[in-house]
Amino acid sequence: MKNGAIAILPLALGAAIYGFAFGLLAAQVGFPWWGVGLMSAAVHAGSSQIVSVEQFASTQTVVGAALAGAALNLRYIGIVASLSDILAGLSINTKLLAIHITGDENWALTMAERAKSPDVGAAFLIGSGFVMIIVWTVSTTAGAVVGAVLPDLERFGLGFAFTAAFIAMARGLWRGRPQMLPWMVAAAVTIVVISLGLPKAYAIVAGTVSGIVMSLILRRASGVVA
Amino acid sequence: MSGAHWAMIGILALAAFSIRVLGLIAGGRIRTSRHAWVLDDLPGLIVVSLVAASLAGQPLQTWVAAIAALGVAVLTNHVIATMVVGVVAFAGLAVIGL
Repeated sequence: MKNGAIAILPLALGAAIYGFAFGLLAAQVGFPWWGVGLMSAAVHAGSSQIVSVEQFASTQTVVGAALAGAALNLRYIGIVASLSDILAGLSINTKLLAIHITGDENWALTMAERAKSPDVGAAFLIGSGFVMIIVWTVSTTAGAVVGAVLPDLERFGLGFAFTAAFIAMARGLWRGRPQMLPWMVAAAVTIVVISLGLPKAYAIVAGTVSGIVMSLILRRASGVVA
Repeated sequence: MSGAHWAMIGILALAAFSIRVLGLIAGGRIRTSRHAWVLDDLPGLIVVSLVAASLAGQPLQTWVAAIAALGVAVLTNHVIATMVVGVVAFAGLAVIGL
């Protein structure tokens, strides 16, 4: 658990910056600092929270805003499903805790590290997940408390740190040439969907599903899957 | 905090957790089926889609920095080294105005 908690720290720093910015936004819409902290701890889904708060600010429609945000989290069906092996053997309570504290960053890091060493498992996921949810909750709360204007941190590449981290994680998950075509299809479909003006979260789901379909086609062609 | 704020937090929390539980149930079913290979392929495909989503519509600076990060990732297979080189490349390109 300690290994996961330490390994996730660089990514947690990046998440803290976004969390702080989100806290500022939420405070402007009327959420008190403790309400922002409560939301972050209870929801633990950055993009969903950001979209919901933005929608709530512009439409004042509670259900519509909440569901719009939740829809952006549909990729978690795939993310949590992929944890099936790691979570096998745990109690149901531990599983529910683990999936709640799982985010993009600690999930991807766990999968990448597990690809290098099969010993990496639930303890790593849970340790890194605890750090992420604590950092997310504290940073969003701090943003709401401070309520000041952030400098343009994107310009200095801090936003790109996430992209670089995901590139490294993809490298860790690379197992050989059979993955090449499904990965290319997933990337291409994601970019095309975004270029059509749809939200990134939907594009990620579309890209992933397209990659699975391509993988199925290749496996059937080679006779691996009936 | 108004009732609307409370309601939004409650509905969003319930919806987000339900999606995760759905994934937990789906994962268990798939793992014991003939489609278990999907669970092996999913992580890479989601991460690649996350990268593509980050790069879509971005300026040349971002793509060049991504290529630099990819080069380091291929050579080192190390997350932090890739992040450091990627961010330095991104900031360096911003400084020279690319």
